[in-house]
Amino acid sequence: MIIKANIKEALKSLITAKQRTILALIGIVIGIGSVIGMVSIGTIVQNEALKQFRDMGIDIVSVTKDYEDQGGDKGFSIDDIYSLPDYSPLIKKVAPYIISSTQYSYMGQDLYIELMGVDESFFDLNKLYVREGRLLSDLDRDRFFCVIGAETADMLRRVGIRKLIGGQFLFGDRIYTVVGILKDLPEGGGMRPSGINRSAITHISTALRAFTTNDITTFMARVNTQDSKTVKDVIENYFNKKARGLRVRVRTAEELITQMQKQMQLFTLLLGAIGSIALIVGGIGVMNVMLISVTERRKEIGIRRALGAQRNDIETQFIIESVTLCFVGGIIGIIMGIVISYVFAHFSKWEFLISQSAIVLGFGVATAVGVFFGYYPARSASRLDPATALRE
Amino acid sequence: MLRLTDIHKSYRVGPTTVDVLKGISLMVEQGELLSIIGPSGSGKSTLMNIMGLLEQPSAGTYTVGETKITYDDDRTLSSLRNRMIGFVFQQYHLLPRLTAIDNVGLPLIYRGIDEKEIAERSTEYIKKVEMQERSHHKPMELSGGQQQRIAIARALVGSPAIILADEPTGALDTHTGQEIMNLFKRLNEEEGITIVVITHDPKIAAQCKRKVELRDGIITG
Ligand SMILES: Nc1ncnc2c1ncn2[C@@H]1O[C@H](COP(=O)(O)OP(=O)(O)OP(=O)(O)O)[C@@H](O)[C@H]1O
Ligand SMILES: [Mg+2]
Repeated sequence: MIIKANIKEALKSLITAKQRTILALIGIVIGIGSVIGMVSIGTIVQNEALKQFRDMGIDIVSVTKDYEDQGGDKGFSIDDIYSLPDYSPLIKKVAPYIISSTQYSYMGQDLYIELMGVDESFFDLNKLYVREGRLLSDLDRDRFFCVIGAETADMLRRVGIRKLIGGQFLFGDRIYTVVGILKDLPEGGGMRPSGINRSAITHISTALRAFTTNDITTFMARVNTQDSKTVKDVIENYFNKKARGLRVRVRTAEELITQMQKQMQLFTLLLGAIGSIALIVGGIGVMNVMLISVTERRKEIGIRRALGAQRNDIETQFIIESVTLCFVGGIIGIIMGIVISYVFAHFSKWEFLISQSAIVLGFGVATAVGVFFGYYPARSASRLDPATALRE
Repeated sequence: MLRLTDIHKSYRVGPTTVDVLKGISLMVEQGELLSIIGPSGSGKSTLMNIMGLLEQPSAGTYTVGETKITYDDDRTLSSLRNRMIGFVFQQYHLLPRLTAIDNVGLPLIYRGIDEKEIAERSTEYIKKVEMQERSHHKPMELSGGQQQRIAIARALVGSPAIILADEPTGALDTHTGQEIMNLFKRLNEEEGITIVVITHDPKIAAQCKRKVELRDGIITG
């Protein structure tokens, strides 16, 4: 009952002191808005990164030659890689690849391109599809055919080349015929090798003959189990036996996800911390406004005390006023934060989502700020000597 | 009903102490209409603040009803103020944001009474001071005399044991002041309400059943 009357009173007094209330509101709106915006953006980024794993499946591992290994700079033997599925039923499919960066020069302009050599299963494991033309298959063995990434295609078009499919290009020191253009891929995250968008991809057999470096240092594999420890052991043992001293590093999707989630949590925390600074500034604004309010209403406090209000009642009244203020600011701030994250998602072409926990957090934080920064003014109001206040 | 025994009150002002009340002993009985009269600065308001539990005396004892006041617990003091005492001030002291009727109901809010009953009782008392026509006006929209009536209704609404009025006619013209005095007299006669009126106007004091004179912090008559 007293609470309800207090909320009514709080709203009335906040409306009476419009300018002050609006100033305090701006602080709180910016504070809560940035916390909610930052946390929501964190959630959107995290969701986007995880989505790429979901696209590719989490049964993918990537195996790299361990560079700290002393056993010379020999890479994997391609035959060893291809007989891995026969060695262990846990390995379903393998896809070795090599990368060599190169420039493509056209009428005095240089384009930087990742030249890659892959086999048919690489496209399957990485969920790569063509936008135009066709993919490579193992029938393109030893032939100078290539597919190009979406960005490569854009770059070539930008320098004025019209005919891409069927066109012939000098990549590295060989001429390749383009047979397909890949669909655009989201940047980063997942198990995909980076740079596919900027690539020209030929068959690995061609690459082993044509590229300047022909060490295979990485391959991908689809595995049969979620147990990353066993997968690691199997692959490590295999290469230890096959190629004496060759040490490998196996990265599973599961590991990457965990690592990424940790980073994301840190990222979200960081963004939240930035928002919190804005919030503290907003909170100090609220405290300021409440202190002025208490000073201006000394007489009111004296009257209420004379009519029988306890110190507690006065304290509650001012805390409720400050919480009401923050709550209203919180609602506007939450809306603002959601709008910010929506705009962010829209321009990054990422999936927008409203984080429910961010909203709950927003209301929680607004209330906490109200109580925390309202406490001191409310307490000083309740300590006011009623006789002195009434004499003024 | 109220018993003050050898009450002293002094204030520290910088390095010196000012003795405002110098041994006041006074009893107020149920049903009295008492005036306390004295020149400005004689300590009338200070005495009323002590009687109204707004201030603690420096020495002496004070008993309200059966309760000897110990001044150590805010809850008890607030609750006694709320139930036993109704204040009427010279400056009316209404809350400017609230309507007349909401001002009247204010003491009941601190008793945790439900809204409906507060509304009923406020209406009853606003009628008693003949202000029902102005129930929903803000204090700013009322004349001084009207505001003082609302303040009296507010003092009465909680059925206190005593009304303490500090120069209730001080800000009003003679005619309006007389109307307020008539209201007090009627309440005292018809309903037996105990009233203490503080004034420096002998004409007002003369209308009360009993008169106490205060001079320089002591009762002189
Ligand atoms: N908080 C205080 N600190 C110091 N001195 C005070 C305080 N309150 C009152 N006094 C002093 O006590 C004396 C009595 O004040 P009080 O208000 O009780 O007088 P009063 O009889 O009500 O006068 P008036 O008729 O003008 O209202 C005055 O001299 C005043 O200055
Ligand atoms: Mg006075």
